[in-house]
Amino acid sequence: MDILPILSTLRRHKLTAWLLILEIALTCAIVCNAVFLIGQRLERMDMPSGVAEHELLQIQVADMVAPANPYARVAEDMAVLRQVPGVISVASSNQVPFGSSSSNSNIRLDPAQVRWTLSATTYFGENLPKTLGTRLVSGRDLESSDFVDVDVAMKALGTGDAKHLPSVILITQTLAERLWPGQNPLGHIIYLAPTVGLRVVGVLDSLVRPNAYDISKAQYTTIVPLRMGANKDQSYLIRCRPEDRAHVLDAALAALKKVDPQRVVTTRRSFDEVRRKFFQDDRAMAGMLVGVIAALLIVTALGIVGLASFWVAQRRRTIGVRRALGATRRNILNYFQTENFLLATIGIALGMALAYAINLFLMLHYELPRLPAIYFPVGAIALWLIGQLAVLGPALRAAAVPPVVATRSV
Amino acid sequence: MLKMTHLSKVYRTEVVETYALRDFNIDVKEGEFVAVTGPSGSGKTTFLTIAGLLETFSGGEYHLDGIEVSNLNDNARSKIRNEKIGFIFQAFNLIPDLNVFDNIEVPLRYRGMKAAERKQRIMDSLERVGLASRAKHYPAELSGGQQQRVAIARALAGSPRLLLADEPTGNLDTQMARGVMELLEDIHREGATIVMVTHDPELAARAQRNVHIIDGQVVELSEDPRFHTVHAAAGDAHA
Ligand SMILES: Nc1ncnc2c1ncn2[C@@H]1O[C@H](COP(=O)(O)OP(=O)(O)OP(=O)(O)O)[C@@H](O)[C@H]1O
Ligand SMILES: [Mg+2]
Repeated sequence: MDILPILSTLRRHKLTAWLLILEIALTCAIVCNAVFLIGQRLERMDMPSGVAEHELLQIQVADMVAPANPYARVAEDMAVLRQVPGVISVASSNQVPFGSSSSNSNIRLDPAQVRWTLSATTYFGENLPKTLGTRLVSGRDLESSDFVDVDVAMKALGTGDAKHLPSVILITQTLAERLWPGQNPLGHIIYLAPTVGLRVVGVLDSLVRPNAYDISKAQYTTIVPLRMGANKDQSYLIRCRPEDRAHVLDAALAALKKVDPQRVVTTRRSFDEVRRKFFQDDRAMAGMLVGVIAALLIVTALGIVGLASFWVAQRRRTIGVRRALGATRRNILNYFQTENFLLATIGIALGMALAYAINLFLMLHYELPRLPAIYFPVGAIALWLIGQLAVLGPALRAAAVPPVVATRSV
Repeated sequence: MLKMTHLSKVYRTEVVETYALRDFNIDVKEGEFVAVTGPSGSGKTTFLTIAGLLETFSGGEYHLDGIEVSNLNDNARSKIRNEKIGFIFQAFNLIPDLNVFDNIEVPLRYRGMKAAERKQRIMDSLERVGLASRAKHYPAELSGGQQQRVAIARALAGSPRLLLADEPTGNLDTQMARGVMELLEDIHREGATIVMVTHDPELAARAQRNVHIIDGQVVELSEDPRFHTVHAAAGDAHA
């Protein structure tokens, strides 16, 4: 199709043409960025946890009357839970992956270091790697001889009594690679405080932190052999087959109630729910952005339909004259399709620049990464398609204008 | 060149059937200049639109340049309009958003002609109608007579064998009308077949042959110059 005469015609209708071009440009720019933001959210929601997600249950209980010996209570609870039919493994833990609330430690590689190297989360509690289903890639799991009661360790921290502090630690391979790139981490010492040096004895394949807000630091995770006493922040984690979860949860709660009928269950959920809750804002944001994109595309499509219909009506006689001069129906159809393609292309070109500008703004003010080049063609193709779809109806109506219009209508 | 036999055209609306043409017979030979006259509503424009393949007909036969056109599909009809027929309308029908040059180029582009040849033909035909200096003007910047000359240039640029004109001087004053008529006579002398509908007896008289249409039928054909004034007067009276 010849584009020069179409362009000169458009030049005679500058204002309307530019309005449509700007609408397309704005939509294109917003669609590019919105698709990128959605992609980011989806990527976050896809973040691996490193645990057997569909096999885990979390229970938290609050005791009305504090047990005489909280450590004995935990031991009793765990023993009771292990007896529940269908239970594969039970752990006690201070926190859960994607659980939001977390304990974190500032890690130093040298006790004299002024500023710490990084901040990592610290899981503690018994039987964690096995229950969570996180795999050891080297070294060994924690053994019961490694464990120290939390209260004892706290006291020892004050007095500097190393004998009553834990001496070993498990870390993820991401953290190992970050701390000692290319080296075997086993045997290296991590300092959680100047007086608390822990030897790395095992490396975990993957274990996400509860506060995994920054995807690049989501795997900065350690497990320290501290034994927990019963308290309201402590969780029981239960592993069972996915299809057993519902009745295992019920039976586990009943078993815990039997230990102390006074206690109140504060949390009872599957790990699937933990993940869903953690990412609900991301999901809502992605959904909202999908809505924004849909609304913008619909409005733009309606704008195109409106303007094209107006132009077809306005040019009805001209179309008849073109038909009389030898234009086929296809020529007329192509005319409007090409016209729309030109408007869309100019709009898309402007939209790209605008998309880049919006991204720069978001980078500056919302710490967003640079818009990858792959998202530019996404916006372009979306608008070309929308444009062609929207113009098809009016263009077909134009193609149906009979040549006799040239002589009949005045 | 153009031969219609027992041709009829019915316009059907919900309430009425109008026979715009009935048992319509005409034979225009190659190279003729025929003026068509008749009262308003008699079917002159209808005849021209069917002759120019702008509309289909209801019955009878129409041979254009030896081809029976009733079986042609829309694309074939477009091609014939584009290559063999030149149209000149009472309302000029220039495309307001295109300048003179681009207007004349329209049918040539549909023919798929190369840019160099298009340019040559456009400048030649503008030369012919004496408007070579107005190529970059828009229709709104030209007088009625000039616009009609551009329309004639557009019709000529494709070197059509048949020129169909529906009251080409209807919107022009006498002097401009005379100019347009002289142009048509020139074109005719160079070999084109011309069929022109007119209300103007003076112009009709200058054609080789007059055809008078009343109520959708050709009432009389005459090549005898003695009849010219009579028929022209009749046409005038009906108008
Ligand atoms: N689209 C149509 N629908 C219905 N009737 C029509 C249509 N077009 C033309 N007619 C009728 O056909 C008849 C012939 O019309 P036509 O336009 O051919 O007349 P004409 O000779 O060109 O008249 P004028 O000199 O006024 O231009 C008229 O009665 C007209 O009302
Ligand atoms: Mg008429």
